[in-house]
Amino acid sequence: MSPDHTGVVLPFIILVGGAFAIYLIARLVTSRNEWLAVLTAMVFGAALGALLALGRAPGSAAPTWGTTMAGVSGMGSVILQADHGAVFVGSIALAMGLCVAVYSGRYLSLDHRYRTYYPLLLLMVTGLLGMVMTTDLFNLYLFTELMSIAAYVLVAFRRRTDTSIEAGFKYLIMGTVGTLTLLMGITLIYRETGVLTIPQPIVAPGVWARAGLACIWVGLGIKSAIVPLHTWQPDAYGRAPSSVSALLSSMIGPFYVLLKLTLALGFPARDLGLGLMVCAMVNMLLGNGMALMQTHTKRLLAYSSIAQLGYVMFSVGVGLRYELPEAVQAGFFLLAAHAAMKGLAFLSKGVCHFYDHTTLVEQLRGTFRRLPVVAVTFSIAIMGLIGIPPLAGFTGKWFILTEVWRAADGWVYAGSVVFLLNTLLSLGYYLPILAMLFSPLPTPDTPPPVQVSRWMIVPLVALALLVIVIGVYPGPLWRWAGNVLTF
Amino acid sequence: MALETLALLLVLGAPLVTTLALFSFPRRLQPMARWLAGGAAALSLAAMFALIPALRRGDVPAIALNWMPAAGIQFDLHIDWLTLPFAITEGAVTLLAIIYAWGSEANDERAPYFYGLLLLFAVGMAGTTLADGMVLFYTFWELMLLASCALILVWGHASGSGPSRRAVALKYFIFTHLGSLMVLVSLVILYDATGTDRFSALRAGVTLAPGMATTVIALFLLGFCVKMAIFPLHIWLPDAHTVAPMPVTIMLAAAMLSMGAYGILRFPMSIFTMEQMQPFAVPMMILGILSEIYGALMALAERDIKRIIAYSSVSQMGYILYGMGTLTYNGIAGATLHVIYHAIVKALLFMVVGLVVYVTGKRNIDEVGGLARRMPVVTACAAIGIMAIIAVPPLCVFDSEWMIFAGGLETPYVTLSVITIFGSLLTVAYALWFGSRIFLGKDPAETTDTTLGPVSDRAPARAKLPLAMVAPSVLLAALAIIEGVFPAPLFDWVAHELPMLLGGRW
Repeated sequence: MSPDHTGVVLPFIILVGGAFAIYLIARLVTSRNEWLAVLTAMVFGAALGALLALGRAPGSAAPTWGTTMAGVSGMGSVILQADHGAVFVGSIALAMGLCVAVYSGRYLSLDHRYRTYYPLLLLMVTGLLGMVMTTDLFNLYLFTELMSIAAYVLVAFRRRTDTSIEAGFKYLIMGTVGTLTLLMGITLIYRETGVLTIPQPIVAPGVWARAGLACIWVGLGIKSAIVPLHTWQPDAYGRAPSSVSALLSSMIGPFYVLLKLTLALGFPARDLGLGLMVCAMVNMLLGNGMALMQTHTKRLLAYSSIAQLGYVMFSVGVGLRYELPEAVQAGFFLLAAHAAMKGLAFLSKGVCHFYDHTTLVEQLRGTFRRLPVVAVTFSIAIMGLIGIPPLAGFTGKWFILTEVWRAADGWVYAGSVVFLLNTLLSLGYYLPILAMLFSPLPTPDTPPPVQVSRWMIVPLVALALLVIVIGVYPGPLWRWAGNVLTF
Repeated sequence: MALETLALLLVLGAPLVTTLALFSFPRRLQPMARWLAGGAAALSLAAMFALIPALRRGDVPAIALNWMPAAGIQFDLHIDWLTLPFAITEGAVTLLAIIYAWGSEANDERAPYFYGLLLLFAVGMAGTTLADGMVLFYTFWELMLLASCALILVWGHASGSGPSRRAVALKYFIFTHLGSLMVLVSLVILYDATGTDRFSALRAGVTLAPGMATTVIALFLLGFCVKMAIFPLHIWLPDAHTVAPMPVTIMLAAAMLSMGAYGILRFPMSIFTMEQMQPFAVPMMILGILSEIYGALMALAERDIKRIIAYSSVSQMGYILYGMGTLTYNGIAGATLHVIYHAIVKALLFMVVGLVVYVTGKRNIDEVGGLARRMPVVTACAAIGIMAIIAVPPLCVFDSEWMIFAGGLETPYVTLSVITIFGSLLTVAYALWFGSRIFLGKDPAETTDTTLGPVSDRAPARAKLPLAMVAPSVLLAALAIIEGVFPAPLFDWVAHELPMLLGGRW
């Protein structure tokens, strides 16, 4: 593992450099939203290219870059490693960032504060990328904070509306508790082992290491919205601008890091799997149950994310417990598919809000007449989330079921029954959205169709095609989702 | 071979391409939407008939594409003798329903979407029968549900007191999806056991633990019984059939219900042996009888003429399940024949109901009557349909019920067979009651109005009916007679299917 692969640091240089450059350009050169959106999209695109190039780098060892300070037990060193999982998780967020940046080219024109928005988007994804690529605990904390602080500001971006301030504040409090708990956990582990590097299997964990691990779980559990640590998410997703909600729902880094870190610290995979399976049930039931009660579209979608994370946790948990790498692979497949579907749903919802100020499910009535393309992309996203074949969500669920049942264990079958019943339960809130999109307005005079801006149509159509392609031709994503988590 | 591949592609391709065209250019294609839809349905049906010679030669026309090679999942279409009766029934019903829609539905700016969704519904059903892989089967299975649900949601007519069409569509989707999920579980278990999703691999033999095989069969039967609307899984049907616009009702009742029967024949009955299926024989027969009697009783109790015929479907599907449950040659052959004949008769009866509603604007049986004088041709069609569903020889349903009852008497459970035979008396009751109340007697609207002179002096005006609605009814009435008198060609199709079932014992 020679820490000299400079390509690893390239995405960070592009993202951070881009963030500063765009802020300066916005201050000094032009503050036209379209220009800034294009520049941000280019930065995201370049970083995505640089990251994907690392994934293809020859050789079996993961490309690594960094500086070590010999003898000081890892303190103060920065080592970044682009292993397969990091590339996978980072690329999803960067790709969604690209879509969101283009989308914001028109969507943000209501908000006018372009020069903080775009750099914050870039910094948030930088934080995520750092979280998944860093190889020591201290930098993990720093990058988590970077990601979180950018996210707090973006959630409260519509500062004129008190609801979004409230959501941002709630997110700030919960998130800070999360990062502080994470810091506490890191400290406790450092106290016991005296090293900060991440692959450090603790053979005989003492009380401090156990407490530290528990703190890390709570901290990262808050970030990845595992029930009962999820309460910030419906508010944050519901009140943030839709573009931010879409990007947030594609940032699966905390969940990935939670798994990777737990395994790297030598925690038995079997026990982690059991814990995940149990949490998965709670996530599914609570997510779907709460979503059934929502009237606010984006809150509903946020609860649906909690349920979908439950499906993923179930698959990954079974994979870890019964040593089925394919089940873990299926879980990450659904996680990636979900990012595309949920992103598409949030962005479609955003267009409805942009033109018609719709927030409630009830207000989506007549969308097909008014915004036909958006109604179609929104329904593709919802049908994907339901699991209608041949869309991405169905393929993900098919993979999960086929792989999970290889365990041939009664508890897995019982869990699968809960999983399937939850799929059925979720129809109760997905179908009304579909029905509303295609129902005519009760009044006879329907407002004329709107010419939707190309800035929004392009990302919507691209994501809709992606949802279809992942479903119909899942081979490449399936192979890519393999070996994300080694255990 | 190339010609057959083309025909197989056309079966799905013609309606699919037309749908895409209609959805993409709704405004430009609106004047000719109905013609395009009819043409596509006709082309699809013709392509199915064009495939019969190849089947007679012993070929199995197929298209095979690698879909997800890593997972062993194929994009395969094929047509074999088991597929043929169901596919042709579906194709013919679609064509007639679309022609009927020319008369019954307004040709407004939503027409392209309406006809497109009808075709998509047909693609779902045709694909379900043609699919040669489990993932593809399930894909089309769900497409069928999605398209029909959209049609009910947007074009449904809810009656004043009943549930709204949104509630009905939601109930229809959730209930049917529950059945789909049971089917999905079985499919996934089979996929895990064989490592491929092709039917041919399944027919070659699946090794499952005995308990697992029982679970798979039970889940398949339950899942498909939801689609067939077997009592007590039928509760989605009366509302969905009543609220749906008439062409959709015709397709639901005459074609989609029998997809459940196809599923039972294609999966449990093709994959498992007689010994594995034997424990399910009596439950299937009992469920069939319950459905038969319950559906008929509910039809007797119902006032809404569309719901009467809807409940009659529950009853008729009971015969089909009963026939399959006998696990005898005659019973299964009769059940398959009954699928075809029920399609003819049920489509005919719904068309008649549609015409009655078209003329009177009323659906309550108490408010209509004496229509024989106003619509004699329709009355003749209705009479044939009613006699056919009662199974009066030599009309078509008589043949299939004969076979089903014969199969039932071959089993050791003679009591059940006797109950079935006498249960069919209830069909006589509701069908005759239905016909006599609507077409004979006096029109209640007329008798109350005495200001125009004595009622007997007034010659009721002949109702003006659209040819597009009457012609399919007459054609179906003729078919009901022809198929009853000359059932040999259909028997021949069905006889070819039986060697594929239950480990090839026939």
